[in-house]
Amino acid sequence: MAARCSPGICLSVIFAAMIALVAPSQLVVEWRRGDSPQIAELFRRRPTGADLRNLESSLENACRIGQLVRPWMQWARFVIFEDAGDNAVLGRGGWFFYRPAVEYLVEPWSPEGEQAQGNVFDAIVSFRDDLAKRGIRLLVMPAPNKASVYSEMLARRAGGEGGPVNTATRDVLARLRRAGIEILDLFEVYERAKRTAGSPAYYLAQDSHWSPEGMELAAEAAAKRLLELGWVEKGSTKYQTRPAPVQRYGDVLRMIRAPQVERLFEPQRMNCTQVVDVETGRLYADDANSPVLVLGDSFLRIFERDAPGSGGFVAHLARHLGFSVSSVVSDGGASTLVRQQLARRPALVKGKRAVVWEFVERDLRFGTEGWQQVPLPPAD
Amino acid sequence: MMRHRAGCLRSVFFGVLSLSVSCAKKPDTGADLQVTSLGSVEVTAELLEIPGEIRNDPMYDYAHVMQYRVLAVHRGQVGKDVIYVGQYNPAKPRDAAADARAGRIGGNLRQFRAGDVHRMAMEVPIDDHYMGGIINRYFGQTEEPVYWALWTNRAAR
Repeated sequence: MAARCSPGICLSVIFAAMIALVAPSQLVVEWRRGDSPQIAELFRRRPTGADLRNLESSLENACRIGQLVRPWMQWARFVIFEDAGDNAVLGRGGWFFYRPAVEYLVEPWSPEGEQAQGNVFDAIVSFRDDLAKRGIRLLVMPAPNKASVYSEMLARRAGGEGGPVNTATRDVLARLRRAGIEILDLFEVYERAKRTAGSPAYYLAQDSHWSPEGMELAAEAAAKRLLELGWVEKGSTKYQTRPAPVQRYGDVLRMIRAPQVERLFEPQRMNCTQVVDVETGRLYADDANSPVLVLGDSFLRIFERDAPGSGGFVAHLARHLGFSVSSVVSDGGASTLVRQQLARRPALVKGKRAVVWEFVERDLRFGTEGWQQVPLPPAD
Repeated sequence: MMRHRAGCLRSVFFGVLSLSVSCAKKPDTGADLQVTSLGSVEVTAELLEIPGEIRNDPMYDYAHVMQYRVLAVHRGQVGKDVIYVGQYNPAKPRDAAADARAGRIGGNLRQFRAGDVHRMAMEVPIDDHYMGGIINRYFGQTEEPVYWALWTNRAAR
């Protein structure tokens, strides 16, 4: 009589075999490539937290079976459970949200409690003071998380009157205002704009960033504020816009890292416009000698350095100001990295009268390398 | 009979020995067409330290600044023994790290390990050649310029 095993034992054996298969197969892959086994690193390095995390991440990235199986598993999880993975959250109507931005919105946190790498207030105030010593004014412009502006697309019950902007964000902005920091409140700008009937979406459905319309609204508001404050005067350069539609998948959808999931959606179409100098007919370009310097993250990169080019916040700010500006963009690094970049190149602040500093709202909590104080080198 | 068997064993032994010697790899200098031509500076250097955790962010790609000891300068000028080099997206093998933002970078190095020796083609300073997030945990500790690694190959010590 043939031996019979229970389904439970069979499943356990299959599961154990699947787990056991990964390590030897990876050893074979590395051996065929002529590399030493990566897992041997575990015994070569001092087992510090950072070393172990680096090794774990390196093993995860290099695992051949993982690379083959992960997209299909992700696809299955998405189709069956609508689970968009570790980095994305599927909202309503095909809208995707970046998970850390959602965590920022729904988890309680206090800027006072998370100061491992500096403090947001001290960093902003000391930067403002450093600039003031050079006669430069600072306009701080937090770019709202998409989940803060379009919470109703995250969950039906989340969208209430006045929006569910994280109270910690409101507290930080209020405290910065009390410290005399000039803030451009884009939360209010979008809230007002959304109330207009037939208003377009100010954020992209598949992306974590603003849409061309949302970006233009922010650029117009920033220019208006700079001019109203009298920090700069309107320039005489005439710019015009020309349509440059772009079609691509958004960054949050791509972050699922499963082409099978991407194929379930149409690439998003964006009605971008490029900024052109009327006199020269050339596309907008930065001017290092401009009185205005713009610092920021990927919200400045999108449409400006990415396709279509010369069609992002920086170009449209220049259009509204009537003169070229200069910019420093540090992807995912507007809390600390962009100021370090500026400190390495102090010539960039020479001759400036105003600095516009954009950072994404979630950076208040999750900013890369925290909110370190970065002193500007003394002026010549 | 015994003498014949010993002769055979000796022949096999010397055969294997000579085969091993002829197949033994020459010390890997890490030189290839790219590392010897890209950038303005080319060095062989030992990776002394990867400070802190390498950020493996699905949303953003960063350059991480690492500390190297220069063992040999092949091209260009390097003023110090210890230099700081920005490696783009170091969680990835070099041949998979390049993208539109970083431009042409690459090499045969698969992972960064302190103590390993690399042959690198570089530019300096990093800010003139790469506009993106730079995680520099030596910031404020040194005034030395940061190099930008274009091509990174494994090399023997």
